[in-house]
Amino acid sequence: MRWWRRERELREELDAHIKMAIQDRIERGEDPAAARAAVRTEFGNRGLIEETTRDIWGWRWLSSAGQDLRYAARGLANQPLFTSVAVASLALGIGANIAIFTVFYTVMLRTLPVQDPDRLVELLQKYPGEPRGNGYWTRSAYDHYRAAARSFSAIIGSSWDHQARIDSSAEPVTAEYVTPNYFSELGLRPSIGRFILEGDAGTAVLSDALWTTRFQRDPGVAGRKILVKGVPFTVIGVAGPSFRGLRTDVASGVWLPAKPDGGMALVARLKPGVTLEHAQAEMSALYRFTIDERLASSNDPLVKNLQFEMEPCGAGLSGTRDYLGRPITVLMAASAALLMLACLNLAGMLTARGTARLREVSVRLGLGASHGRLLRQFLTESLVLAALGTAAGAGVAYASVAWLLRMFTSGRPHQQVHLDIQPDSTLLLFAVATMLLTTLLFGLAPAVSALRQASRSAALRFRGGPLGAGRTLIALQVALSMALAASAGLFSAHLRSLRSTDLGFQRDGILLLSLDPSRSEYRGQKRAAGYRALIERFQNEPGVDSASLAAPTPLHGAGAGGWGTVEGRIEQPEERRRISISYAAPRYFSTLKIPLLAGRDFSYSDLANWRVAVINSTLARHYFSNPNDAIGKRITMDRVTLAREPVTYEIIGVAGDTNYGEIREDAYRGLYLAAFRDSGVLGGTLVIRTRANMAGFAARARRIVAESTPGVEVTQVRTLTDQIDSSIVPERAMAALSGFFGGLGLLLAGVGLYGLLAYSVSRRTNEIGVRMALGATPGRIATKITRETFVIVAAGVALGVPLSLYSLKAGSRLLPGVESTNAVPALALGGAAILLASAAAAWVPAWRASRVSPVEALRHD
Amino acid sequence: MAAGKYQNRIELLQGTLDMLILQTLCWGTQHGYGIAQAIRAGSRETLHVETGSLYPALHRLEKQGWILSEWKTSENKQRAKYYKLTPSGRKQLAGEVSRWNQLTTAISGLLGGEPA
Repeated sequence: MRWWRRERELREELDAHIKMAIQDRIERGEDPAAARAAVRTEFGNRGLIEETTRDIWGWRWLSSAGQDLRYAARGLANQPLFTSVAVASLALGIGANIAIFTVFYTVMLRTLPVQDPDRLVELLQKYPGEPRGNGYWTRSAYDHYRAAARSFSAIIGSSWDHQARIDSSAEPVTAEYVTPNYFSELGLRPSIGRFILEGDAGTAVLSDALWTTRFQRDPGVAGRKILVKGVPFTVIGVAGPSFRGLRTDVASGVWLPAKPDGGMALVARLKPGVTLEHAQAEMSALYRFTIDERLASSNDPLVKNLQFEMEPCGAGLSGTRDYLGRPITVLMAASAALLMLACLNLAGMLTARGTARLREVSVRLGLGASHGRLLRQFLTESLVLAALGTAAGAGVAYASVAWLLRMFTSGRPHQQVHLDIQPDSTLLLFAVATMLLTTLLFGLAPAVSALRQASRSAALRFRGGPLGAGRTLIALQVALSMALAASAGLFSAHLRSLRSTDLGFQRDGILLLSLDPSRSEYRGQKRAAGYRALIERFQNEPGVDSASLAAPTPLHGAGAGGWGTVEGRIEQPEERRRISISYAAPRYFSTLKIPLLAGRDFSYSDLANWRVAVINSTLARHYFSNPNDAIGKRITMDRVTLAREPVTYEIIGVAGDTNYGEIREDAYRGLYLAAFRDSGVLGGTLVIRTRANMAGFAARARRIVAESTPGVEVTQVRTLTDQIDSSIVPERAMAALSGFFGGLGLLLAGVGLYGLLAYSVSRRTNEIGVRMALGATPGRIATKITRETFVIVAAGVALGVPLSLYSLKAGSRLLPGVESTNAVPALALGGAAILLASAAAAWVPAWRASRVSPVEALRHD
Repeated sequence: MAAGKYQNRIELLQGTLDMLILQTLCWGTQHGYGIAQAIRAGSRETLHVETGSLYPALHRLEKQGWILSEWKTSENKQRAKYYKLTPSGRKQLAGEVSRWNQLTTAISGLLGGEPA
């Protein structure tokens, strides 16, 4: 390094000077010892000369920074307890921020690696009052808007299939079906071959990841034939490594030409100079096309309320932003508050440290060190702490992001979020900025206060000031940790209320086994017979209360539906609603403990006459004044998912309402149809109520399926409770993280308070001794300390109540469903938690103060 | 007496040291100690260059590009850093000398116009 060479040369140059001067004097006849002494006097302060010469080269900051670093490292190494507590609290605070920001950035901010992402908009439609539009359009809508809309330079369409299997591989990849202009309008370049063009059919473009994992980056992959879901395609190219499709929650593995009749999401590119409002206005007028189109094919009276909406989508399609955006925003705020708390905490500790070093600082000021120089040295120490904290925080962040990603992928299939986290310059910048900001936040005030005290009171003892500042810092910490604890209380109350919501069935003790018979010999009637035997086998299994079969199972999140007409009832079109459909085997209702309000359950004797239905209470109430009136009436179902012909069913029973897709949902009209029918069986999930241990029983259940129906695969085993939990992933993540932040906040505030009190007691040993010598009892001393604590905590709580109320209000406004009525208990919880933490923190110092021996204390100083 | 000897010395004016160094180097390459000795001898022991001023000045001049340095071995087998005037240093010296002459003329005129 240049710096080292210059340093060495400077030393050598001065050495030579001294040697020559001595040599000269000796030659002139001086005694060598005297010559050396004279030269040394003449030469002056060598360190100063070196320093001023170094200044010329502008290296001084470097060498003094080096000194500061060494000094800081030594100071921190001398106080391992302080250092490790400081680094640990910073690591947790900074780590939480980096982790949450990483997810926040990936979901909300990172733009797609395409040309001009800022001009891309997503075309959506929604019912008034719905929070969210959907982006499902027909092919003819795509053609119509492409031809008619003047605001866009292009519209591209794509749709996804997450269950595409390539060749004979068992592992599904996501296939994205795209319109021919997709790649060219996004401005992408293939890394091999070419992209899909107009007129292409049976062509496929691979993602870089799929090309790597399945084709070992074979440069000659273009031209290879592959099967996607059993259909042959020819690979024509490979996309660049950074492009993963238009969505942020899944990575497309292969791109195929859009099917001529499928629905698709539409993304448009605004023409230069066209505003969002202008395009919105134009499209709202053109949107009539879709209303007419949908009215022509649907009985749904609500269709004409549909509205057109548009959203910028340079950061990817909006689904994930909707699903995770708000929770992650709230968590971002909570983690920032946590870091703030850690900074206050550390500022308190550093202020105390600064006071302890008052003498040293005064002496150094007296010896001529400049304020700036000392300030820089203090800040260097803080920077070293922050750097250590950030380095450890990066590890914390790495682990937490992995945890968060696992959490997000634990959702139901249609809500799973597979985020592609990539460390990039933005994240690095965030980490460095956090580090520097943290340094200033916790380091500046203590440094300034230490300098001010030192210069004000020279080497005199100082009282009052730093403790006063310490008290303010503690009160702020109390306030912040109270807000964090209250928010944690709110979110966990929300989660608890979700988990205890009455869903219309009893969720505990239910095991769900999803069966896939497609690779077995069980087909048609043979499957019905096999499944029936399987259910009977489970029914007789020890520990099993009841077993049945259904599709879909409650809160699975996907289901069928259709439109119904009840014989003899005339209905206004506005009153018609879609009817959700479940297929159920006999004993389904008793297994889930869904009450039958009238009529009977399905039975295996319905097999031949399977045109029977059980309706739910909401559907029954709409048409009949009494559940019993419904029995024997006929309902004709039309436009049922995957069915072509209308079918008429006889109502044999009325069951209680249950939740269908979500924990929080409006009452819906529901209908159960027989899963078993002469042509086979519809539905593929065993529903078993057992008293046995779930984990052990799950393994046994797999064996039973393998024995009774060989060849039928068990694709998933999970408890109903887990299935319900997988429908509330963001809520669970919120509760867990806010609980963690809240606990950590209390711990930090407690440690801070303890530190302040312990320090204050140790500084006042003298005073306490005098008081005791004058007759104060240990109890009075302890009371005095406790009272002082209480004043600080009370000030903090006074500040914490409005702060908590504000954050609770903000939290419940951002997160639909979180009720601010839970605010009072949450607030009480926050207050109680902080009081408890304070009491724990105050106990030891108060006790120690009461144990001060007057004689010892008076000798103390 | 030490005090008396001290009074005979003259504090160098700001900036004049640079000129003196450049002037000294006019005569050929020299190391720091040699420059100090030359100035001392040339001023008949009137001007003593402090080491604390000399080396910062040398490094400053080198950074300006008016002098260059190289390591050489002296006649006494002592390895030392030798400084050499560059063409731009020579130009700088000429400028400084002319400014110095103006200044001394002006000051002499002032002092001469108002006799003590």
